[in-house]
Order: sequence, then structure tokens, then C-alpha cells
Amino acid sequence: MAQILIVDDSSTVRDEVSTFLKNGGLDVITAVDGKDGLVKLKGDPGIKLVVCDVNMPNMDGLTMVEKIRGELGNKTVNLIMLTTESSPNMKERGKAAGVKGWIVKPFKGASVLETFKKLVA
Amino acid sequence: MNDEPVSKLLVLDDGPSHARRIKQFCDENHLVPLKVRKGSVMSVLRTNIDLGGILYSENYEDSPEETARVALEIHAARPELPIIIRRERQATLAGLPDASQHAYCAAYVASDMSALRKVIDEYIFCLMYPNALLRGIAEITEAVLAGQFKGLKVAMDTPYIVHDRVIFGELFSLIQLESSWCRGYMMLQTEEDPLLELIGRDAPQNLGATFRSVNDLLSEITNLIWGSFKNRYIGDDKAAATGRIQIPLVVNHKHKYISFGTENPQLCFRFTLTDEGTGRSSTLYERFIFNLNWSPEDFKEIAPDTAELVDSGELELF
Repeated sequence: MAQILIVDDSSTVRDEVSTFLKNGGLDVITAVDGKDGLVKLKGDPGIKLVVCDVNMPNMDGLTMVEKIRGELGNKTVNLIMLTTESSPNMKERGKAAGVKGWIVKPFKGASVLETFKKLVA
Repeated sequence: MNDEPVSKLLVLDDGPSHARRIKQFCDENHLVPLKVRKGSVMSVLRTNIDLGGILYSENYEDSPEETARVALEIHAARPELPIIIRRERQATLAGLPDASQHAYCAAYVASDMSALRKVIDEYIFCLMYPNALLRGIAEITEAVLAGQFKGLKVAMDTPYIVHDRVIFGELFSLIQLESSWCRGYMMLQTEEDPLLELIGRDAPQNLGATFRSVNDLLSEITNLIWGSFKNRYIGDDKAAATGRIQIPLVVNHKHKYISFGTENPQLCFRFTLTDEGTGRSSTLYERFIFNLNWSPEDFKEIAPDTAELVDSGELELF
């Protein structure tokens, strides 16, 4: 069972983030878009944290987190957006969907590792 | 960084009395003249991918007919490049062989270089780019490249205006830019092998790196630049989300040619990534093509203190 689900259409980001977190002692799986993310989350009840991009094909990240809280009824998994977007409107939409935090790319792992560990504890 | 973009002009004018005047004119008007030996014009055209236009002379060849033939050959090869012809007596196209007149966009005489300045503004620098935009794109791109290629030297040329539509290298990315003041594309072009070598420089065990690794990296670089561009210049612009007209793009692989369906010039930035340890380098062309809307009078830069409330990479907890 994994602790963290990384959802990003960029394999560069998936590799970078998951390698960093694995080296930090965390169990990670990845998904390539919002649809894939929902499937992976449904299939692994051990996931405590979803780190998710916004702009993705097939299903964007904000739609995905809205579905996690709505259709899936999952009120407990922690949701963090990792995206190039920083607009207040997007953040408000994320907050309304229950997103816990927002990271503007590029990913700087060292500054978030401890927080991620607390969120999956 | 130089605030004014430049443009490269192919100078096909062998008149010795005019050479110095043209050079001076180019120096004073943000133009980079490229002199070409007679007989090698077409080969130079084949290897130059980022020209702004051509300065030509009605006496370039020995006869008017031969001069017209060469102009038509150039125009046929690169119709997107404006050809401006220097004439001896009148700054018009009248009197030139009829069949060749459509090859030229305008004429000038050496005794009135101020008229040439107007022609250059009309046909080469026909779109005005705010200095804040030029500086911002340079800063954004240099920061993204420095972040993705740690330890490499990132160098940038003065931005320049291009009318060429020839594609550099083997791969390019495209992403739409949508706002109330601009609509178009950002395009990144590069060569595969030099970038592949730089990717693998610190990881000899990474034998699995393939063209897909380069594709993915170029995609992420594009995404990061696009995101920063949006955050700095577009924000929550409502107009950005409204669907409007589109026009087809055409890519001709055989001729390494891309058309955005417009005569508008492209704003080009050229970056060089260098591993100073090995001397290996890779070139990246970044082009902005505002083919659907360009309204620089509505350009706005979102206040940095708003855009940078949270440093990139830091977690903002709600």
C-alpha cells in the first residue's frame, strides 16, 4: 500500500517528485491524469496524501479533487496541488474542494518533506 | 539586457558606396546585417532560420532581368521574408520588370534613408513589444532553464524579430497563450542529441534516456515558462477563458516549415545551455507568435508583490 499518490501528466515531474519522496522514506505511486488518479486512489485505501497538478489532459486536477470529495465521498485524504498556476480564483476553487495546500512549481522537495511526512502519519 | 529587439537582415547589395551607409543604418536601427557572397545566396537562405528580411539592390546582378530572376528565386524560396529593394532614382517599384514586382515589398533610395526606416518599421518591426514583456520573458525563461539544468551556464542573445518560418532542430513544443491583450502561441525549438547529452551528463548510469526523455523535458520546460508567463501577465483575466476564433496551423515536415496563418513576425529568444566542464552545449529557440490577437496597448504586468506572495516551490497551507 502506498502513502502518497502523485498525479501529473509530466513524466519529468512524476519521476522527480516520486524519486525525492521515495528517497525520503515515503511510499509513492503515480498517475498520469485526473481520471487515472481517481482509479488509483479508489484502488489503494492506504493513500493518505494526493499531490496533484492542475492542468492535465482527460481530467484536470481541480475536477479530480472535487470528485474525490464528492463522488468518491473521501473526506479524509489530504490534497495538495503542485502546479504552475497561482491565480487566486484557482486557489479559491481548490479550497472550496477541500484542498489543504498549494505549491507553485518548480518542486523544491526539501521544503515540504517534513510536512508531507506529517500528513501521511 | 538590451530593451529593443533587433532583427537580422540579409544584405544583397554590393554597391561599395552604399555598404558603409547600410552598415551605419543597421547599427542605428537595431538591425544585424548579414553580408553574403554572390552565388551563395540560396545556400545561406537554406542555413539561416531566423531572418527578418532582405535588403536588395536593383543593381545586384549585371542586368535588370538577372536581378529580377534572383529576386524571384529568393521570393519563391522564402515568400515570408520581406525584400526591400534599393533603387537609383525613385523609391517605388515602378519601372521594375513586371513579373518581378510582386517579389518586393517596398523600394527606397540611398539619398533618403529616413524613408527606409519607415519601411523597416512597416515590414520588419511591425509589432511593438513592451519592454516589460521582453525583460519578463527573459527572466522567466532563464530562471526555468537554470532550475532544470543545474550547473549549466545559461546565456541569452538579444531578443530579435523573425519573419522566417523555418523550424530549428528536430523537435518543438507549442502552447497557447490566451489573454485580453494577446492570443497566440509560444514555441520552443531545439535539437535532440545535444539536449540528450546534457541530460545524461551527470548520470552515466541513465542509459535508458531516449528521445522521449527529451520530449518530456521540453514539455515540462514549456509548462513552467507558460505557467510563469500566465502568473505574471495574465492572472485571472476572464477574457483568457472565452472561446473565440481559431485558425489552422500548418507544419510541413519535409521543408521543416511551420505556418501560423499570419504574416505577423515572431518574437524570438535564443538561449544557449553550456556545460563549461565539457564544453558541450545545446541551443533553444523560444518564439512568441501572436497570430490571433496582439493589443500591446492593453498589456499589463501583474504587480510582483501579488504574483510572488508565495515563493515557487514553497507549500502554502490553507
